[in-house]
Amino acid sequence: MTLEQAARALSAEWVHPGPAGAATRSLRGVVATDLMSDLLVADRHGHLVLTSLASDQVIRTADIVGAPAVVVVNGKPLPAGMVDLARELGVALLRSTLPMYEACVAVARAAGP
Amino acid sequence: MSVLPINSDQPPLVLQDLLFKLKVRDVMTTDVITVRRADTMRYAQALMKTHRITGVPVAEQGRLYGIVSMDDIITALETGAMDRPVEERMTTRVVVLEADMPLSFGASYFEKYRFGRFPVLDRDHRLCGILASRDISASLLIELYKEYCRLEARVPPLAVRAEPARSIHIRVHRYDFENAGKGAHEIKKTLAAMGVEPAHIRRASIAAYELEMNLVVHSFGGVLRANIGPGEVVVKACDDGPGIADVELALQDGFSTANDWVRSLGFGAGMGLGNVRRVADEFSIQSSAGAGTSVRAVVRWPAAGGAP
Repeated sequence: MTLEQAARALSAEWVHPGPAGAATRSLRGVVATDLMSDLLVADRHGHLVLTSLASDQVIRTADIVGAPAVVVVNGKPLPAGMVDLARELGVALLRSTLPMYEACVAVARAAGP
Repeated sequence: MSVLPINSDQPPLVLQDLLFKLKVRDVMTTDVITVRRADTMRYAQALMKTHRITGVPVAEQGRLYGIVSMDDIITALETGAMDRPVEERMTTRVVVLEADMPLSFGASYFEKYRFGRFPVLDRDHRLCGILASRDISASLLIELYKEYCRLEARVPPLAVRAEPARSIHIRVHRYDFENAGKGAHEIKKTLAAMGVEPAHIRRASIAAYELEMNLVVHSFGGVLRANIGPGEVVVKACDDGPGIADVELALQDGFSTANDWVRSLGFGAGMGLGNVRRVADEFSIQSSAGAGTSVRAVVRWPAAGGAP
């Protein structure tokens, strides 16, 4: 599944597209959490982050663990600093109005078996 | 009367070498101020005052006849002979140096005769310069500097290591979530620029980030350091307190003393220290309640082209 396909499944708004080619690159999985500690513990990289947390630290944590994209669910408003940081660190940032559970289901369906 | 501030009998080897290598002609002043035999002692005194010198050679067309010293001027003043020609009052038994003499010889004259200057004659016994003690001091300083530069150029450069060591040092403040993570990002960027493999960069970045967040969340403030050397990065976090009462408990996953506000930001789940220990190749922690905490984590990677 690519970020583009995940965004379509989530009906997500593109806030920052990330570096060139980010939309069509294959994602290596998904981590859905509101705990940055969970992201840091997850032994993976190149994955999509689904979260209802809208803060700068989500972007910083994604950058540290090597997650190329973050989707903020529940349609939460994004602080300006978060968007700026996403640009600075080259992390794609999207927003979906779906609640977390529905977002997970939608992404899982898009990813297929 | 001037005395050189060097011992010309047994100077240091580098000075001995220079004093022998240099000749009087290399050091002497060639633009010599002179008076003629018919000039008055008053004229000689005025000349000495103007040029701030304590002696002036008496010479005509290169031939040296004598020297007018301060002593000669004082004697002329005392005897009312200031308007007499210098040839009547000058010192005629003049100690001279030859231009081709080694400077060591010239230096020894200052000690031997205690004069302030010596006229210098060329091979044809014509006045070609004058040597004052300050000429020697100044030229030795210049020559020593040249020698220093020459020796420095010969020193081989420090051995270049495959990966030059780099240090990162970042002050972290309590509850400063706005800047939290910048240190870890800097470490990540530096490792990436050095060409370290992404998997190792990730481990080091996570260790640094967890420690940086711990400083923000749990400490009164502290310092995050990273020393990057060949094949490893040593990350250290040292804080100013309050310290950990039970370190073993703090290392257990899920144990946390973070408040609700910190938890609302996605941190404080009690996974940090354990995660650092998990990703690092070496881990140590020192802390006690009421004192600061110091955590050290080392992440290593195989040298380029070396064994895994």
